[in-house]
Amino acid sequence: MDPIESLIPDDSGAAPALEPLAMVALDAGRMLMEAGASANGVDEIVAKFARGLGAERVDLRIGYASLAVTIGIGANGITRMREVGHLGVNQRLDQELWHLAARVSRRELTVEQTRAELTRLAQKTPRHSAWMMAVAVGLACAAFGRLLKVDWPGTGPVFFAACAGQLIRRELLTRHVNVFICATLVSFLSSLLGGLCAHWAQSGTITTAMIASILLLVPGVPSVNAQNDILEGHPTLGSARAVTVAVILIFVAAGLWLGQVLLSQLGIQT
Amino acid sequence: MTPAFLLHQTICGAIAAAGFGVLFNIGFRSLPWCAASGAIALAVRTGCLDGLHWNLEAASFAAALTVGAAVQVLRARTNISQNALDVVGCIPMVPGSFAAKAILGMFALTSASTTDASGTLITAVQYALRVTFTIGAIGTGLAIPTLLLRVRVSR
Repeated sequence: MDPIESLIPDDSGAAPALEPLAMVALDAGRMLMEAGASANGVDEIVAKFARGLGAERVDLRIGYASLAVTIGIGANGITRMREVGHLGVNQRLDQELWHLAARVSRRELTVEQTRAELTRLAQKTPRHSAWMMAVAVGLACAAFGRLLKVDWPGTGPVFFAACAGQLIRRELLTRHVNVFICATLVSFLSSLLGGLCAHWAQSGTITTAMIASILLLVPGVPSVNAQNDILEGHPTLGSARAVTVAVILIFVAAGLWLGQVLLSQLGIQT
Repeated sequence: MTPAFLLHQTICGAIAAAGFGVLFNIGFRSLPWCAASGAIALAVRTGCLDGLHWNLEAASFAAALTVGAAVQVLRARTNISQNALDVVGCIPMVPGSFAAKAILGMFALTSASTTDASGTLITAVQYALRVTFTIGAIGTGLAIPTLLLRVRVSR
């Protein structure tokens, strides 16, 4: 924390380019937050970018849907705010941003070069293919199912239902369907598919197979980030994340409940 | 607890963590670290649950603490963000099924045909409390090594 005297410097009359500096630092923080980082990570990366580009003072406020920063150089200061989009998880982007932050903090890049690099990262950071993700999620949910004591006949259906659920979720999110509605739809379809297939496979653990089929929707990263944020001195952001996690869980459970109701209407006992 | 059961839980933990690693867009070269993280978490949790007969919350805390400490020690070698690696490792321990059962229990309470409302309520609340305490245990277990060992940037 800077002493208060240093925050009221004499006006030298110089006018450094604070606006682009502040916006580049905010963009880096926004991208890291959207990639699933906790508040402390966002705080650190904004400070690294801003100081690496010449700022002498950096103060950041982190909200759930926006970031605000005050940057100061000598007698001049500026405060800017930036909206934060959907909070997903993208670890390769996270990693690339930290590599870029290291270069910026060594003062290897100008503001314009840093902005170009950020744009490149946003557009070019590779993602796994949709099918690769679906198979991986299917395997993960099948393994979850075994941990929850789903029998072997029920494990294949869990894999199949979770694969289908992940493909549907990706498709819905690319069409900008609301995250909560998406959670209910995917939960309903995956649990229904998992339950039906487990019944046909003569599994004795149909209910657990249905639950395992929707575990791809459990917001694990936000729930751990929520607690980390509170522990690290950001209770407002942590509380907002916790509320979002709770609402997502309610929407997921609603989809599962609908799936169970439909299966019982079809005469399948869950 | 048989060695075969411990091996089964460890392998399932590794597969689940690696699968979620792909979902979180972790690169192929780093996926073995994710699998190792999940394997450690499930091995420790299973050992505490079935070997030492601890409850789920305490076992999850011990497993998260172990994963958090291991990730801090191996941080320089893994070329992957510490936050991602420990979260991915602990994801197989997030009690998603308990959460679903707790909320379904609440839904069942509102049904007109509920026969044992107090029993249903108590079961639902028990599940909800276990979810809360287990997630709290995982978060605290992960946070302690991070808060103790991390070098903070000077601002």
